[in-house]
Amino acid sequence: MLNTDTSLSLLSLLQLCDSNFPTGAFSHSFGLETYIQDDKVMSKQTFSEWLQVYLQEQLVYTDGLACRLTYEALEEGKLETIWALDRKICVQNQAAETREGNKRMAERMLYLGTELYSSPTLALYRERIRDKECWGHSSIVFAWITHHLKIPKSVAIISYLYASVASLIQNGVRAIPLGQTEGQRLFQELQAPLIHAVEQINGLDPEDLGITSPGLELSQMRHERLGYRLFMS
Amino acid sequence: MAELTGFLRIEARKHREKSIASEIYSQGAWKVNPPIYLDSSGQPCLYMVSLGGGYAGGDRYKAEIRLSEQAELLLTTLSSNKIFRSRGKPVIQEIDIYLARGSVLEYLPDNTIAYQDAHYEQSTVIRMESGATLIYTDLITPGWAPDGSVFRYDTLKLRTEIYLDDHLVVFDHIRLCPGAQNIQGIGLLEGYTHYGSMIVIGQQATPEFLDKLHESLDVGQSQVRLGLSMLMIPGFTLRILAFSTQAIESVFQSCHRMIREEWFEKQPISFRKY
Repeated sequence: MLNTDTSLSLLSLLQLCDSNFPTGAFSHSFGLETYIQDDKVMSKQTFSEWLQVYLQEQLVYTDGLACRLTYEALEEGKLETIWALDRKICVQNQAAETREGNKRMAERMLYLGTELYSSPTLALYRERIRDKECWGHSSIVFAWITHHLKIPKSVAIISYLYASVASLIQNGVRAIPLGQTEGQRLFQELQAPLIHAVEQINGLDPEDLGITSPGLELSQMRHERLGYRLFMS
Repeated sequence: MAELTGFLRIEARKHREKSIASEIYSQGAWKVNPPIYLDSSGQPCLYMVSLGGGYAGGDRYKAEIRLSEQAELLLTTLSSNKIFRSRGKPVIQEIDIYLARGSVLEYLPDNTIAYQDAHYEQSTVIRMESGATLIYTDLITPGWAPDGSVFRYDTLKLRTEIYLDDHLVVFDHIRLCPGAQNIQGIGLLEGYTHYGSMIVIGQQATPEFLDKLHESLDVGQSQVRLGLSMLMIPGFTLRILAFSTQAIESVFQSCHRMIREEWFEKQPISFRKY
């Protein structure tokens, strides 16, 4: 027998992570397209390697940790911590397109979030972005909505990572291209790395925020100057 | 303050037509050579010198650098920053920089060489007033281990925070741990061995300037992999992966030359160390 409250929050979480949830993630490759054009990502195997490095070396220390820290700040009612985090996670990103991409996704998610749920503090974040007091990051918005929905913290983090990886796989399947089944198999193979990533995120020191790795960042920068582009980042 | 291996305090100010090093204080294993004027522009150049010949486990170095209004300073080192065995006892270098309105700091130290079992943590905090100009570089070279292999260092952590009028505008946090990462793999060093980074902040750092710089650096060349992008404020970051220290230095020089010529109508400089 399903408990109604649990079912409701599960359904809301599924809605939030659904690729139909219009955040615009399908327009951003976060540097993947550079690797595809350089013929470095061209198969399921090479795509899998890139995804794991992207998850392990970037998502964990940026989006993942920001998601956790936002959630914890909300639990403690410390909005000032979130405003500082917003600043840090945005200026941490040295690639202008990726920074813009995360901002656009945050704005879309915030628009939907404030339309669908009544969270006065979430509305406040939206106002601060409008007034240019905050920049906007998708991981912060995601943590906010899941906290509002009373989704447990670790579930919120793994869901964020899942949604990020899901849209990247979709984008990779289109752009490399790969077969749909290969994409799904890849997704399944990423389950263990995703679980590991959450364990790691939960064990990080807040000082670890924003650690990034040179190659990923450089490819995100180089994307700006690719000759033709399917993606905005 | 815990016991420091070396401490430096440098202050530069504008005095009539030129800038002068108005204070140089050094303690312990770090010192600064007397200022040298490399050209007739009135901008002094200071060379920082590590007396120990390198950093060893547990060493802590700290420097405070302050430029008052309109002061201009070139700051470099006399030789490479060598990090020796320090696994478990990290070498720490902290630099705090303050740049007042209209000042110009060109900070181009030599490379950091990380030898076997090196653990190095560098933290740089730069506070700028608007109208100041900053050129800041980092260059990481892997040191050869006795068995001839590279990438035997333990951890390198470079953390840079830049504030403009008290707002955080750059937060850069690079970490390389060859033991825990596939260091030459995709997403990390991409098969390269050396890493360089240049952060430039100044009113003249426009997207148009960046386009021009990009063209002049000939990004198509295969010996280096370059990335350039604008910051949230007038300024940009340049990242380089390469196979040699010289290849990165040569990109730094091209970039430095273009900034000096176009923004300040100054001649290119050579630090003449060798």
